[in-house]
Parts: sequence; C-alpha cells; structure tokens
Amino acid sequence: MGVMRIGHASLKVMDVGAAVKHYTEVLGMKVTMEDKSGNVYLKCWDEWDRYSIILSPSDEAGMNHVAYKCEKDSDLDDLKAKIEAYGIKTTELPEGALPATGRMLQFKLPSGHEMRLFAQKEYVGTEVGTSNPDPWPDNLTGAGAHWLDHCLLMCEMNPETGVNTVADNVDFFKTCLDFYLVEQIVVGPGGAIQAAAFLACTNTPHDIAFVGAPKSGLHHVSFFLDSWHDVLKAADVMGKKKVKIDVAPTRHGVTRGETIYFFDPSGNRNETFAGLGYLSMRDRPVTTWTEDKLWNGIFFHTGEPVPSFTDVYT
Amino acid sequence: MFDFRPKVQVTIEQTGESYPCAIGESLLQGMIRLGRKGIPVGCVNGGCGVCKVRVKQGSTETLGPISRAHVSAEEEAQGYTLACRVGPACEVKLEVTGKMSKPFFRGFDAQAAPPANIK
Repeated sequence: MGVMRIGHASLKVMDVGAAVKHYTEVLGMKVTMEDKSGNVYLKCWDEWDRYSIILSPSDEAGMNHVAYKCEKDSDLDDLKAKIEAYGIKTTELPEGALPATGRMLQFKLPSGHEMRLFAQKEYVGTEVGTSNPDPWPDNLTGAGAHWLDHCLLMCEMNPETGVNTVADNVDFFKTCLDFYLVEQIVVGPGGAIQAAAFLACTNTPHDIAFVGAPKSGLHHVSFFLDSWHDVLKAADVMGKKKVKIDVAPTRHGVTRGETIYFFDPSGNRNETFAGLGYLSMRDRPVTTWTEDKLWNGIFFHTGEPVPSFTDVYT
Repeated sequence: MFDFRPKVQVTIEQTGESYPCAIGESLLQGMIRLGRKGIPVGCVNGGCGVCKVRVKQGSTETLGPISRAHVSAEEEAQGYTLACRVGPACEVKLEVTGKMSKPFFRGFDAQAAPPANIK
C-alpha cells in the first residue's frame, strides 16, 4: 500500500530541558530514548513504535524533517523509483541513521521541506497493550495526547512570480505518494490559486497540510485527543503550566476539527485536536473553501482573521 | 494582590507608546500584561521572530535563547533582539523592526483589485 501514516517529526528546539518538560507535562508524552548528540525521543501513550517526536538541540526553532511510515520495506524501493522519475533526487540513509529505525529514503519536497520515508521502527507497544486492554492507562499527565496525527507545513508562495509550492506539493503527494486531496482553500481571480491543501493517505481528514506563505517553514505539529472535553482539559493544563496559547478552543470549518493551538518553549506551534470530523475516503468529493469565506474555514465560529495564526510560524 | 514588582518605563520609538515593565519580565510580556499594543506578538518563546526590536537606549538582560534564524550574532551586537526574550535592566527605548509576514490570504482579500499580472 505504500505510505501508511505519519511516523515522526524532528523538531529544532533551543532549550532541550524546557522542551522535554513541555512535551511530557503538557502533551503527556514519555521520553523513550536519548542519543549521544543530545536528541531526545518521545512517544504518546497510544503509539506503539519507539518514538514519534525527536527534540533536536539547535540555535533556532522549526522542523528538521517529517517522516512517514510505509507498510513494507520494498515500498521504499518502489517509491524511490517513482520519486526519482518525478525529478526529485533521493538519498538512502542506512538502518541506524536514526536509532531504532530502519533504512530511510530522504528527499526534499518542492516546498523545500525535508521528508523521509521508512518502513521499520522498533515496536515497543502502547501503554495499554494488546491483550484485553484498558481504554486508557493510569497516570496520564497533561493533555494525555493519543498520538502525533499530522503536520501543517508553510510552503513558499508568490502569486506575482507564479511560485506556488502548495500546488507543487499537492501534485507530488498525489502522483508519487498516492495521497488524495480532501479539502482546499482557493484564492485569487476565479479561485485559480490553490492557497491551502489538506491531504490524506489514511481515513482521517488530513495526514498532512500545506498553506502558502512568503517563506517555507513549520506551522504546527498536531496531536490527537478523543473529545471536545479533552480539548478543554488540554487548555486547562496550558493555563496551569503557563503555556502560550495561540488560539483558544474552537472549531475549524476545514476538517471540522475541534482544536486548540499553542507554542512549545522554542515557539514551535502545537495543536491538540479532537473530533474526527468525518471519515475521509478516496472517492469523497473534495471540499473547497473560497476566498470570501476562508476565515470561516479557518475559524468557523467567528470567521474573523487571527493574524498570529497565519503570520507566525517557525 | 497589587503588583509591587519594581518597574521601569519602556518606550516604543515609532508610536511614542510607553508602558511600565517589571524587572525580570520580558519587554513583550510587560506590554501584553497591560493589554497594550505596539510590538507584534507571536510565539512569545523566542522562535518566530515577529517581536524583533532594536534597543536604542538603556540595557536589557537575557531571559532565554533567541532564534538565530531571526537575530544573527552580528545583529545582536548592534542591539537587535526579540522582545519576548529580554527584560529591562533600566529604562528602555526601543524601535520595532519585526513584523507579521503577510501570507497569501491577507494579501488578496485586502486588495481592491487583483494585480494585473495575475491571470
């Protein structure tokens, strides 16, 4: 089947100690591994692979790379051929290039972001196991996020010069990785410019999203929660821990997601969201948000711009 | 409870806006706490760069790391910094140099007519 789902994101952080505190105490992740370069690996309670977030020491914020997991090792060879034929150079990283991880295919998206594909990562199991499991484990901390769900990448776009790496990424993901378009925002005369796109390879409304911006970067990494009440509780945790909230709990028109946005201690935006708005399908008609209603798409209740949400990213 | 922390005045050069900022809190937090405006507010954690300022008068103390993607070591030596990551050591006068980088959708819906070169 090729690409199955998101595997992990490697984030640049300027204070590893503060970052670990945030991702454990606010998101509720657990540290599972550290390497000799000072990278810290974490997972959520409902994830079964060794890690889904890498916190990597840096003098700036942002994302090093995002990795998606393939079903079979041979998928990596098939995808390598497809991606190279598309005109994108790939590099094979050997097993162990990242600890507990099999070989990886490394390449740059049209937007300039580094992406990796892998098929193997050490299985450690969820906190509740597979045999007659409890619905959730005891001693959850913070928001108790279930899993890393998706990421949103800001993609270079300049309508005046015709640069639109949102559209370029969409074409690449559809052609090479077999993702399908679920929702989009179109702007400009006749809605000719695809300014944002939400794509899936699973049945969630988005496994990755792209939004146009002056410069490519990371908008957010998102973690799954069960319910609207869990989003409220996550906000309570942020109030208690004095986390900078960007957008208080609300609902997106796009994907129908129930959401809260906040920043990690290096300024990387996180989301915890709930409410699987609908079951996404390959034959489901694409939802389109037009320029005059785009803010309803972004924040359905108010339909009003929140400049920090679109202009601030790492 | 009253806020008895010692405070100094911070002035934003462009707008003339001035507010009392506590010693030990960031220039940006002091502004946010009073509901005042003038310095763009982003991640408030040193990463996004929108609150970039140049300290023109007075001195500041560092409260945390700032992203080198937004303030180079050279710029820092010239007084540039991020308002969320420095606190006032004395009265401070600053110039706002950061801004929100407008994404596509604010550009478009704010325009009266599309540029001629967009087909």
